[in-house]
Amino acid sequence: MSRPPEDRGDELRALFFESANELVQSLNEAGLELESRPADEEVIRRVRRAVHTLKGDSAACGFHKLSELSHELEDVLTSQIAQERGTDFAELVLTAADSFGAMLTAYQHKTELPTVEALHAMIRKLLKEPAPAKNAGSAAPPLPAQFAWTEYEQLMISEAVHRGEPVYNVALRIDPNSLMRAAAFQLIRNVLHGSGTVIALRPEDNVAAATVEIIEAALASSQPEERIRQRCRIPSIVSEVRLERAATADTPEHELLGDLLEAQAARVVAGTAETIESGAATNPNTSGSAATTVAESTLRVDAARIDAVMNLVGELIIGKSMLNRALTEFDKKHARDPLRAKLADAMAFQARILDELHKCVLKIRMVPVEQLFRRFPRVVRDVAKQCGKDVALELTGQNTDLDKGILDALAEPLMHLVRNAVDHGIEPADVRLSAGKLARGTVYLNAYHQGTQVVIEVRDDGRGMDPALLRAQAVEKGLLKLAEARRLTEQETLSLIFEPGFSTASEVTEVSGRGIGMDVVRTVLDRLKGTVHISSQKGRGTTIRLCAPLTLASIQTLLFRVGGRLFAVPLSAVVEITRIMDPEIHRVDQREVLRLRDQILTLVRLEHLSRLHSIDTELARKKHFVIVIGVTEKRFGLLVDSLVGEEELVIKALPGEIVSSDLVSGASILGDGTVVLILNVSAVLSRLSRAMPLGAIA
Amino acid sequence: MKQFAALLRKDNQPVRYLVVDDSVFARKNLIKMIEMFGGEVAGEAGDGLTAIAEFNRISPDIVLMDITMPQMEGIEAVERIVRQHAEARIVMVSSVGYQENILAALQKGAKHFVQKPVKPEVLYEILRYVLSDVPNAVGVPVAMAGEHHI
Repeated sequence: MSRPPEDRGDELRALFFESANELVQSLNEAGLELESRPADEEVIRRVRRAVHTLKGDSAACGFHKLSELSHELEDVLTSQIAQERGTDFAELVLTAADSFGAMLTAYQHKTELPTVEALHAMIRKLLKEPAPAKNAGSAAPPLPAQFAWTEYEQLMISEAVHRGEPVYNVALRIDPNSLMRAAAFQLIRNVLHGSGTVIALRPEDNVAAATVEIIEAALASSQPEERIRQRCRIPSIVSEVRLERAATADTPEHELLGDLLEAQAARVVAGTAETIESGAATNPNTSGSAATTVAESTLRVDAARIDAVMNLVGELIIGKSMLNRALTEFDKKHARDPLRAKLADAMAFQARILDELHKCVLKIRMVPVEQLFRRFPRVVRDVAKQCGKDVALELTGQNTDLDKGILDALAEPLMHLVRNAVDHGIEPADVRLSAGKLARGTVYLNAYHQGTQVVIEVRDDGRGMDPALLRAQAVEKGLLKLAEARRLTEQETLSLIFEPGFSTASEVTEVSGRGIGMDVVRTVLDRLKGTVHISSQKGRGTTIRLCAPLTLASIQTLLFRVGGRLFAVPLSAVVEITRIMDPEIHRVDQREVLRLRDQILTLVRLEHLSRLHSIDTELARKKHFVIVIGVTEKRFGLLVDSLVGEEELVIKALPGEIVSSDLVSGASILGDGTVVLILNVSAVLSRLSRAMPLGAIA
Repeated sequence: MKQFAALLRKDNQPVRYLVVDDSVFARKNLIKMIEMFGGEVAGEAGDGLTAIAEFNRISPDIVLMDITMPQMEGIEAVERIVRQHAEARIVMVSSVGYQENILAALQKGAKHFVQKPVKPEVLYEILRYVLSDVPNAVGVPVAMAGEHHI
C-alpha cells in the first residue's frame, strides 16, 4: 500500500471513513427496504450507486481488499438477479453492509481484516446458480421453437411472400452465460431489424425477455440466408441459431379482416384479464409494479414549457369570453339571423374543447402528494430519535393530486408541522403510559380533495394544546393585553401559534423551537390563497389542516363592484353573502359593525382601506351587499355596491411597480377586456388587525 | 498468451480504435488487447465530451465506450455520435450492473456490448462481428484465421 504524505493522507482517510460509514448505513436501509419490497428498482439503483462509490473511494485510499470486494459485489447487483432471488438479494445487501462495516472498522483501527467468506459465498451463489438451473432441462438439441404466430402475423407473412420477399422463422438461444438478458434481447432486436423486416417477435418486449432464453422471430429479408445466419450468430449473446424458411399458409390472401380483428381483440381482452388476475393473486403489490411500468413511459419536461402552454390556454379562455360577448351582441342585433344557431353551435363546441384542454393542461402540472409525503418517514424517524421518542408515521391519501408549484410551496410548512408534532406534540413514553396511552405516539399525514381545494392534514395523538397556557404566553410575550386574551375564543387562541414570534415550547430545542417556523405556515398559505385550520384537544392531540387551491394558475372567484370598479375575491374565502339596509350598520370604536345572527361582524369598506377614489357618484345608497369573508377563524364583512357573479379567473402576475398596494394579490382580464383586481383577503385582514385589537375581529 | 489473427479493414489497413473510459487502467487494458488483435489505437478519451471531439477528429472504425464517466455519460455520447455519424460502430464496455444503461445505449445505436472484466477472446469475437456488419462497406475483415469465412 502506498502511503501519501502523512497528514494529508490522514485527512483524506478521515473523510473516507466518514462517507464510507454513511454509505454502509444507506446499504443497511436499502437492505431493509428490499426485504419488504423485493426488486424495487429504485432501491437497487441506490445500492448500486453506494457500492460503486465505495469501490472508487476505497481504491483511491489504497484499501484494495475493500475495493475488490465492492467490485465483485457490483456484478451481482442487477435488477434481474434481484427479481429472481428476492429475499436472498436483500440478505446479500445486508451481509455486504455488515462485511463492509467490519472491514472499515479494521482499516480504521489498523487491525487485521476480517474474513468475508460469507459474502463471497453469497455472491458466488447468486451469480452461478440461476444459469445451470435454467440450462439443465433445455440443453438438448435441436433448438425447440414453436413459431406460433397469430393470424394477423401469418397474414403479414404470406403477404410478404407474395411480394416476393423470403420470410424466415428465426429462433435464437440467448447464451446462458449472458447475465444481461434484457440487453441481449435488445441487441438481438437491433440485429434483426438491421437484417430485414421483423414481422413477429417473441417475447415482445425487454421486460419479458429477462426470463426468456429462446427468442423467436419471423423475419422478411431479401438478404442471403447464410448472411442472415451469420448476423444472428452474435458473439457472447447468441449460443445457438435456427433459421428456416417460413411455410406460407395456403389460406386465401384476403381473409375476412373483420373476423380476424375481432378474434384478435378477444384475445387481447382475455390476455389482459388474465394478467390482472394472476397479478392480483401472486403479487399483492400490484400497484407498485404498475407504478414502475408507468414510470417507464414518463417524460421529464421543463416546467417552464408547461407554464407557457398554461399561459396560452389562459389567453384562449379570455378569447372565449370575448367571443361569447360578441356573440351575445350579435344575438341582440340580428335576432332572426339563421347564422346565430351555427355560431352558437361552433361556440359551444369550441368551449367544450377548450374546457377539456384546460383540464388536461392542469392535469400535467398535477403530481401526487406522495412525492411530498415520501420524505417524512425519515424526518419523523430522525426527529423522534433526536428527542428520544418512539413515533410512528401513518400516511394516507398519497394519491391525491395537486399542482406541482403548490406541492413545492407546501413542503416547508409541512416540514415544520411534522417536526413540531413529533417534537412538541407527542409526549415522552413515560408520560404517555401514565396517561393511559400507547407508549408509541403516532403522527398522521392525510391528504384529500374538498371541492376545488386540496386539504393536507397533520394530526398527532400527543398532548394537545392548552388554551390557557397559550393565552398566558401571548400576554407574556406582549402580543396581547390580558383583557384581550380573555376575550379570545378557543379557536382564536389556538391560531395564536401562527403569529410571528410565538412559540409554545418552553425551551428552544434543536429540532423545532426556534420561535420562527409556525408563522411560515401562515405566510406560505396566504401566498397560496389557502387557509390553515387548527383544532386541539388537551391530552388527545392536535390536528392542523392546510387547505390550498388545486392550482395556482386559475381560481374560482366572486366578482363584485365597489365605487364603480370591478374586484374579485377567491370563492374559497367567501363564507356567505347577505343583504343589509343602512340602519343595520352600527358604529363601535370608529368601526362599522353588523350584527349577524348574534355575532358581531366588522365591516370593511374597500374605498376606505385603499383611499380608492370613487367613480360612482351615487354613493349614498340605502341597500348594501355584505360578503362575509373568512380567513382561518377570522371573519369580516366586505361592504360592496353590487355583485356581478362567479367567474373562473386566470391569474396574471402583476409586476411590482404596477401595484403599490399589498391589498391586491393579482389581476385578471375579462372577456370584454375589463381588468379585475383580485383582493388579497389576508392582507385586508392584517390591515384590520394592525388598526385594532386582534380579538375584536369576530 | 493466446494468439489472434489480425483483424484488418477491407483495405488491409489496421482497424483504428477510439478507446473511451474514465479509468486509465481500463484504457490501458483495452489498448493491450487491441494491439494483440493487430489494431491501431487512434485516440483515447476519459469522458463523453472528449470522446465526441475525438470521434470527429479521427473517425475511428470502432469505438469502445465505457458507460459511467464524468462530464458526459457513455449513453449520451453514443446518442450524439450516432446522430451525426449513423455508421459509427460503438461497442459498450461495462459491468453487469448497468444493464439498463446498456439497453439504453443499444437503443441509441450502440452496436454491441461487452462485459467487464473484458476477456480478450470475447472482445475479439465481438469486434470481428461488429466489423463485418455491412457486406459491401469497409470493415469486412479479410485476414481471418481458421475456418471462418464471411
